[in-house]
Amino acid sequence: MSNVTVYLMAERNTEVQSEDVFLKDVASVRCADSQIEAKVKSIKIHKFHSGQDKKCVISVLKIISLIEERCPGVTVDSLGEPELLVEIVNVNKHKGWQQGLKIALVSLVSFFGTAFTIMAYHNDIGIRDVFAELYLIVMGTESDGFTVLEVFYSIGLALGIIVFFNHIGGRRITKDPTPIEVAMRNYEEDVDKALIATADREGKTIDVS
Amino acid sequence: MTFLKLFFLAFVSLSAGSLASAGVFTVLVSVGLIPRFAGKTHTSKKIFLFEEMVVAGTIIGGLVSVFAPFCMIGEKILDAGWIPQQVWQAAGSLMIAIYGIFAGMFVGCLALAIAEMLDSIPILARRIGFRHGIGAAILGMAVGKLLGSLYYFYAGIN
Repeated sequence: MSNVTVYLMAERNTEVQSEDVFLKDVASVRCADSQIEAKVKSIKIHKFHSGQDKKCVISVLKIISLIEERCPGVTVDSLGEPELLVEIVNVNKHKGWQQGLKIALVSLVSFFGTAFTIMAYHNDIGIRDVFAELYLIVMGTESDGFTVLEVFYSIGLALGIIVFFNHIGGRRITKDPTPIEVAMRNYEEDVDKALIATADREGKTIDVS
Repeated sequence: MTFLKLFFLAFVSLSAGSLASAGVFTVLVSVGLIPRFAGKTHTSKKIFLFEEMVVAGTIIGGLVSVFAPFCMIGEKILDAGWIPQQVWQAAGSLMIAIYGIFAGMFVGCLALAIAEMLDSIPILARRIGFRHGIGAAILGMAVGKLLGSLYYFYAGIN
């Protein structure tokens, strides 16, 4: 077999649905020789057994050794992640009433929690007194608690949030990701890194040696 | 002249409102509470909905607290006399209980998440050198918060 290079780009986090994990599920493969490419893609790199861990961390060295075993003489060039987190998910996990219940719970906590936060903040700074005083200073008459100040403050509050979060009523204002979407991706990345580090520390990484 | 003054007040309060919301939400986003909820419950697909709820909650909470004297729904309903007082009391208690438990969950998570921003728990665990029992420490914090909160309301500390 001639000496060809297999380029391998592994993803850090993959979710699979079947128990058998093939190389094409977790990485992109490119090789000038399409036969070798197909052969490499179909290498089975892991099998989840029911009742065991739902996640595993595989070192890219293990994958390279599997490729070398199957296709001797090829050169493997890894362009992606050094360690891969593979997770098996139940197909039904993203459906059903349990999922709906969780979504409802998080929605309710977000709604009432932020309502409470802003009310507590207003109470903390004594917003009605501040407004009454400001009104008195500028207008020279007593405020009745429902003035242009309160109305425009509320408009400003709504405007600020909508501009900050970049959407209203399910519609995006611009195409940028919203701050919580960005935070969500960062959080997922941190979780993946922590899981890989834990697997390394506990020696559970599937490695060559 | 009055119009100019009113215009000035409107300008001041519009700026105050937009900056107050930006400030409050910078804290909320940097603490990363909502992503954590979504991550824990595997509902990250619905993150958009959660943000909508955050927006709605803040706007409604802001309105209610700024216009509190004009939001006395209970009083109006009782005055109108549509619903007997006992029935309204029961329904009102239920609504307040729902508000209380969800607001409490949120504040509890927020408090620990802010503490964690300073890495207080990992630093403590490393300094005193324990490897097991983080769970017990967290449980202790939760129980401490529960008892402290109950004592605060019972004793009426100000």
